[in-house]
Amino acid sequence: MYLPSGVYHETYAATHGWWQTGFARGKMALLVLFVFTLPLYANLYVVSVANITLYTILGALGVQLLIGYCGQITFGHAAFIAVGAYVTAMGVLFWGLPYPVAAVLGCLLAGLWSVVFGLPSARIKGFYQIMTTMAAQFITVDFIITHYVSRVGGREHYFSLPPGTITIAGWPVESEIEVYYLAVILTILCLAGMANLLRTRVGRAWIAIRDNDIAAETMGLNVVYYKLLAFFAAGVLGGVAGAVWIPSLLFVSPEHFQLSWGLWLVGVILIGGIGSLHGVVFGSIFVTGILELLKFAVIPLSEFYPALSERFLYVKEAAFGLAIVLFLLYEPRGLAYRWQQIKNYLNLWPFAY
Amino acid sequence: MAILLELVLSGIMVGSIYALVALGWTLIYKCSGVLNLAMGELTLIGAYVCLTYYQWGFPFPLALVATLLTGFILGLATERLFLRRMIGEPILAVIMITVGLSFFFRALVGFTWGTDTVVFTPPVFPREPLRFYGMVFGQVYLWSFVAAIVLLVVFVWFFQQSRWGLSMQATADDEMAALSLGVSAKRVYALAWAIAFMAAGVGGTLLGNINGLNISVGYLGLLVLPAVVLGGLNSVPGAIVGGLVIGVLQNLSDAYVGKLTQGGVKEIAPFAFMVIILLFRPYGLWGWVKIERV
Repeated sequence: MYLPSGVYHETYAATHGWWQTGFARGKMALLVLFVFTLPLYANLYVVSVANITLYTILGALGVQLLIGYCGQITFGHAAFIAVGAYVTAMGVLFWGLPYPVAAVLGCLLAGLWSVVFGLPSARIKGFYQIMTTMAAQFITVDFIITHYVSRVGGREHYFSLPPGTITIAGWPVESEIEVYYLAVILTILCLAGMANLLRTRVGRAWIAIRDNDIAAETMGLNVVYYKLLAFFAAGVLGGVAGAVWIPSLLFVSPEHFQLSWGLWLVGVILIGGIGSLHGVVFGSIFVTGILELLKFAVIPLSEFYPALSERFLYVKEAAFGLAIVLFLLYEPRGLAYRWQQIKNYLNLWPFAY
Repeated sequence: MAILLELVLSGIMVGSIYALVALGWTLIYKCSGVLNLAMGELTLIGAYVCLTYYQWGFPFPLALVATLLTGFILGLATERLFLRRMIGEPILAVIMITVGLSFFFRALVGFTWGTDTVVFTPPVFPREPLRFYGMVFGQVYLWSFVAAIVLLVVFVWFFQQSRWGLSMQATADDEMAALSLGVSAKRVYALAWAIAFMAAGVGGTLLGNINGLNISVGYLGLLVLPAVVLGGLNSVPGAIVGGLVIGVLQNLSDAYVGKLTQGGVKEIAPFAFMVIILLFRPYGLWGWVKIERV
C-alpha cells in the first residue's frame, strides 16, 4: 500500500486503518458530506438517478460477493432481490408488520432462499452452476412469484403500494429524497460491512475458495460451509436491495426482477472490476450515469431520427451490451483497476516509478 | 391415447426446431469451447431478417436461402470481431461476452423491428389443418419438421463427409493435433459461428411461422440450454435427441402437469428437468465424462 513518508503508526490497530493519512480521511469526509447533502442542491431528477445507482450498488454487491470473492458464478441474483422485495411488500401490506421488521424478514428469507439454490454448488461449478442459478431465476420469479405469490390478496399480478404504506417509526418513506437517504445509509452500512467482512476469517476463506477450491480444502476449510455462507450473505444483500427498492416503486411486479436484471448486475461488476468493492460502486455509477447521459446525447439526434428517442430503452440496452463486450476486450480488469493506475500515477508524479 | 400420440408427435415436430438450434450451440462449444448465451438472439435476428426478405417480395424458399447467406456473413463477422480474442479466457469472461452480445443483438432487433407481434403475410404454409387418424396438426408444424430434418441431415452430412466438416471434427477432438496437421483453427471457429447463425436463423424463421414473430422468440435460445445439457454439451447427436426430448417433454408437462398448477408449467418444465439431469448425470447422455469433485 502506498504511504507517504512521515506517516507513523504507534498502535497495531492503526496499521489496520482504512484511511491512514490525513488526506485520505479528509477526502472521505468530503465524500460523505457530498453524499448526504446531495438532495439539498440537486434536482429531483438527479436524486432519482442516484436512487437507481444506489439500488444497483446494493444489488451488485451480492453478485460481487459471489462472483468476485467466492468464485461462484450467479446469473439468478434478481430472484433473491425479488424475494426480499416481495416478502417486505407482503409483510407491510398483508401481515401488518412495520417496514423495518418486514425488511429484516425479507432479507433473512432471501438469504435462506439463496442457500437453497446454493446447495448444488457443493458438487458443481462453472457452466453447470450458471445453469442452476438460471434455473433458480425461472423457478422463483417466472413460476412461483408470477403464478402463485402474485395472486395473494387478489391484486392480480402486482402488489400496488399506496402512498403512506411504508413508514419507518412513523416517518413515511415516499418521496425520492426520503428513499435516497434510506438507500444511502443502507448502502454505506453494507459497503462498510462487506469491506470489513472480507478481512475476517470468513472473507479470507471465501477468497481462498475463489482462488483454488481444492487448495482451500487442503488447508482445512470446510468448503461447502463457506460457499453456503457466501450464498446466504449474498442473498441477504439482495434482500436489502429489494427492500430498499420497493418504496420508490408504485407497485411490485415480476417484471422488475427478470433474468436480464440479474445479467445486468453481472455486467455491472464486470465493467467495474471483478473482486473489488470500488468496482461495484464505479460500475454502478458508470452504467446508470453514462446511460442517463446517453439520453441527453440522443435528444438532439432524435430530430433527424425520431426512433432514437421513441425506442430509447433499446438504445440503452444496446449501449450496455456493447459496453460489456468492449470492457471485456479492452479493459478486462474494469474501472477499479484503471482507478488504481491513475492513483499510482498521481502519487508518483512527476516520476514514472 | 390419440391425445397422447398427438402431443408426442407435435412435440417432436417443435422439438426438431429446438434440435436445429441446439446443434448450432453444440457446434460452437465443441469447436471453440465458447458457452453461448446469445443463441436466442441469433434466432431472433435470423427470423426478422427472413421476414424482411419475405416482405420485400422474395418467395419463401429464396428468402430462406438469403437468410442462410446473411447468417453466414453475420456469423463470420461476429466471430472475427468479438469472439476470436476471447479464446482461452476464463469461463465467466467468455460467457459474459456472449451475454453482452445478447443484450446488444436483442436491443438491435427491438430497435429496428419494434415490439409488436408480426406474422408472415401472406401465410407461408396453408392454414387448413391436416387430419390423420383422428389427430389434428397444423400444416406449418409438418413443414417445419421437414425443413428442420432436411437441414439437420445436411449439417450432419457436412460434418461427416466434407473436408471442412472433418477439419472441424479434428479441431474439436484435439486442437493441437489438428493445428499440427495444417488445419486452420481460425477458419474452424469462424465456420462454427457461421453455421450456428444459419441454424438459428432457420429455427427462428420456422418458429415465427408457427406463433408469429415477436421478441419472445428469443426465449428459444434459453430452451436450447436444457436440450444441450441433456445431450451432453459436446455431442451432436446428443443435441438433436435433447432438442426432440425437450419438445415432447414441454408438450406433455403442459398437458398433464399444467392442470394441477396455475399455469407457467410449459415455460418451467425444461429447466426443472435440466436441474434433475444436472443432479444425477451432469455430463448428459453422450457428453464427455469429466468429473471434478469439489
